[in-house]
Parts: sequence; structure tokens; C-alpha cells
Amino acid sequence: MSDLLQPIRNFFTALKFITKGGTGYYAWLAFLAMLIVYGLYSYITQLDQGLIVTNMRDQVSWGFYISNFTFLVGVAAAAVLLVIPAYLYNFKPIKEIVLLGEMLAIAAIIMCLLFVISDMGRPERGWHILPFLGTMNFPASLLAWDVLVLNGYLAINCIAVFYVLYKLSYGKEYKMSFLWPIIILSIPWAVSIHTVTAFLYNGLSSRPFWNASILAPRFIASALCSGPALMIILFQIVRKVSEMEISNTAIFKIAELIAYAMGINLFLFMAEFFKEFYSGSIHLAPMEYLYFGLHGHSNLVAWMWLAFIFNLSAFFLLLRPKTRENFFTLNMACVMIITGVYIEKGMGLIIPGFIPGTLGEIYEYGPSAVEKSVSMGVWAFGALFFTLLLKFALPVYTGKLRFKASESGD
Amino acid sequence: MPKYVMVIDQARCVGCMACIVSCKNENDVPPDHFRTRVIENVSGKFPKLRMELRSELCNHCDHPPCVYNCPTGASYKNKENGMVLLKKNRCVGCKACIAACPYDARYIHPEHGYADKCTFCSHRVEKGLEPACVKTCIGTSRIFGDIENPDSEVSLLLRDNYSYALKSSAGTDPRVFYINRITKPE
Repeated sequence: MSDLLQPIRNFFTALKFITKGGTGYYAWLAFLAMLIVYGLYSYITQLDQGLIVTNMRDQVSWGFYISNFTFLVGVAAAAVLLVIPAYLYNFKPIKEIVLLGEMLAIAAIIMCLLFVISDMGRPERGWHILPFLGTMNFPASLLAWDVLVLNGYLAINCIAVFYVLYKLSYGKEYKMSFLWPIIILSIPWAVSIHTVTAFLYNGLSSRPFWNASILAPRFIASALCSGPALMIILFQIVRKVSEMEISNTAIFKIAELIAYAMGINLFLFMAEFFKEFYSGSIHLAPMEYLYFGLHGHSNLVAWMWLAFIFNLSAFFLLLRPKTRENFFTLNMACVMIITGVYIEKGMGLIIPGFIPGTLGEIYEYGPSAVEKSVSMGVWAFGALFFTLLLKFALPVYTGKLRFKASESGD
Repeated sequence: MPKYVMVIDQARCVGCMACIVSCKNENDVPPDHFRTRVIENVSGKFPKLRMELRSELCNHCDHPPCVYNCPTGASYKNKENGMVLLKKNRCVGCKACIAACPYDARYIHPEHGYADKCTFCSHRVEKGLEPACVKTCIGTSRIFGDIENPDSEVSLLLRDNYSYALKSSAGTDPRVFYINRITKPE
């Protein structure tokens, strides 16, 4: 009998670890819960009244939700920047923290899926997109591909993270022979979630801003900046609030890798900018809207230049070893990169696809209050999920939390 | 099997907008949304002005990007008569078709949340009737028919006149053709 009860007892042990914390921890949870409840309330309004409560219209059919989704796909794929040095090059300082990167990927993918569901007009019919159950339009529709690769990446990371945590929590060594194929698979898969999401926009011949072959490569380059930059900041927080040790070497190495990725991103940006403005074809209009304003419509101009300045200065800050290894300038650069890429790969990517519209109309889009609060709720849910996962994983990782095995010796 | 197309003879359009009204009436199109429209393009300098009238609707493309991009197969091309149609109960409202359409032919139904568009009045065509906009057209500017039948009015019109389609550079192979005898096509 006690054998059967052991998993339940283990669950309560884990629960005790998760619920124990200082005032700051509870305040953080309460803050997130508040945002989630408010987001949920706004989402119910949206379900009740329909997508008309958003500012999306026929001219701009994808908006703030899909912008956030696109940015988060980038964050999710960034785990690969830890996986490659950790496992392929056996770089020890990063190997110790690769688990955190994979957990961030799980949280990011969950947020991605929530954003896509928020964007749907009829979410209750979502099962039609699923393979076997529904009538998935595979392989023609890139959205169907996206469903497969995103959920696949979620599964891969869940298996990798929970297998390691399961073994460690029982005080056992995990088998590399089991983990290795999953890790190897996760590298091309991370590239695929980007490529497929980029192709989703890329394949639309009537949207010149997206229908450029540079979209997917630029997507990957910028993702390898924003995700790791977020990780660097999270690592420092984790290091401060828990006993987990994260070496400076690992952080500086990641910062160096971000600098290279940002260099490539800036180069690709320059290539795109040159091609559009030098040739000045009719396809210039969306680019002109973004950087100089079109026919007096210039909502995004200031944002785009801010993003460019942030990305450029962060690139130089991270390139110089002196500023890279100073925590003040390092954190400044990371915040600038997160903001810069969030603008560039969020609203800055989605909205100009629709402006000007296929009929030449200009409908200036900005998120409505409902869109903002639902998005805030989704972000808060992701943060809550990541916090609770960390709260469980960190004691397991540092050896403070150990389950008793059942007596039969499982 | 018939392959339905529409020919729009721009010289015969008087800009009365009756097609829009009859379409809204026939298909119960929600307020603020349209399945068809008439574009008025004025060119030149006063007093030498020209106005081009151009009716626009779903082009029922032979290579429909909306159908390719639909994740559930709710949008489909009817292989028998060439119409691009929608199974409403399968649409999740993801708006990929709206982003994909080069003609802004689609909208999300504000009450029901699915994508909606011109159906070439398939419910009327099945009964042997013409689409509502064609039936009501006062100048017989809109002509509907079977392009597979060499003696049909649309086939004869396309044989005898220079015709063009909208944004054929988008690789869509549209099934709505325009004949313009007055102003130069774009």
C-alpha cells in the first residue's frame, strides 16, 4: 500500500518546496495572478463580443497577438544557443545551465500557443487544426506545419527537462544514451520552428514586405539575440535568489555569442534596407512606412529607429570584452537587445505586412485595451509557469530536494 | 463540368452600385463588410478627366493562396465548377486566408467569427440562376458563365476582346476577367 502512496507523498514534498518562499516570492506570485485574472477577464470579453473588441480589421488581420507570438518563437528557439556549446563542444560552464534554457523554451512555447489561441475568432474549433482528430490541411498550409513543429519542440524540451529532473530527484544519474538523441534532434528542430514561422509570412506573394527570401535567415539571427539576452538576465536573478551556481564564464560566453548573432542580424538588416531603398520599386512602401512614414502615417517610425539604435549600441557593448564583462553594461545591452528585437520582430514585422494593404489602403493599427490586457495575462502566465518550474527544478538540481524511492526499489 | 468565370466589361458599368446592394441583400452580408465593391479611379486634370469604374470581388483563383494557407481545409476549391468556397463550421478564424489574399476579398464575420467571402452565389448557380450581382447589373457589365463552353457569352467576349486580370503577377491565376475599352488598364 505504501508503494502506491509514495508518488502522492512525493508530490506533496514537491508542493511544499514550491509553496515555500519569502515575502518577495509571494508578492511576485500575487502580482502575476492579478495580471492573469485581469487578462482572463479581458479574454472572456473578447470571446463574448468577438474579435471586434480588438483593433484588428480586414486590412490588418494579424496584430499584437501574432507579434508577441513571433517574438516568443524566437525566445523558444534560443535554447539551442546553450545546447550547442554544452553538448556539441562540451563547454562545461554552459552544460551546467542548459536545463534552464530548455525550461525557458517550454515556457515560451506555451505562451506562443496561448497567443495563437487568443488570436482565433473561433477557438472552440481549434481541434480542426490537429492531425488525425481534425482535418489538418497538411502539407499545403504552413500553419499546419507550425502546429506540428511548435508542439514537437514543446514535447522534445519537456522530455529532455523532465527526464533529467525525474532521474535527479531520485538521486540517480541520467543516461546520456537516452538523452543524446533528443538533444541532437532539438537542434535542427529549433531552427525549424523559426523557419516554418518565417515561411508562414514568407509565402504570401501579395505581401511584399514578407515575400523576401531574407526573412527566415534574419528571423533566426535575431532570435539568437533576444532569447539568450533574456536568459542572461534570468541567470543573474536565479543566481541571486537561489543556491544555484552559475559561473561568469558561462554568462560572458553567451554574451559573446549574442554579439555575433546581432552582427549577422544587423548585416542582414542593412542588406534589406539597401535593396529596398536603392531600387525604390513599388515594394518599398512598407519599408518606407516603417522608417520614414507613409502619407503622414508614422506610428511605428519612432519605435523602429529606437529598435535600430538599441540593437546597434548593444552590438558594440557586447563586442568589446571590456563592456561585455562589466555587469552594468552587459545588463544594459541585454535590456536593449530584448526591447530592440521585441519591436523589430514583433509589431515591426507583422504590421508592415499589412500596410499598405493589398488595395493600397492604410489602416494604422495599434493594439486595443483588450489586446493589451490579454497579452499581459499571457506573459504573466508564462512567467508564473516558469517561476513555479524553477522553484521545483532548482532544489532538485542543487540536491536539496530528493524523493524517497518506493520500497520495491523503483 | 462547367468552369465558372466572370467577365467584367468596364465600359458598360455606370457605377450605380446595385451589385453591392443586391449582394448584401442576397447573402446577408454584415454591416461594414462587402463581398463586392466598385472602385472609382479618377485620372487626369480638370476639365480633361477620366473615371475608371472597376467592380471587384473574389477572383476564385485557380491557384488560390487562401486555400493553400488554410490550416484546416475550411477554404477549398470546388474542383467541379472552379469556385473557391468555405466550410464555415471548420473555420477557426485564424485569418491566414485574409493575410494571403492579394485582393482583400475576405473578412471575418463580426458575429460568427469565421472568414467569409463571395461564393459566386453558388446556392443560386446550383439552381441554374445567375449570381445576384450579375442578375441585377443594369448595364450588363457583369457577365457570368462557363469558360469551358466555347459558345458561352463569356468565352465569346474573352475571344474577341483584350482582357486582363487583377494582380496576375501574384501567381494566383484569377478567374475574374476585365475588359477595358476606355482607359488604359493599370
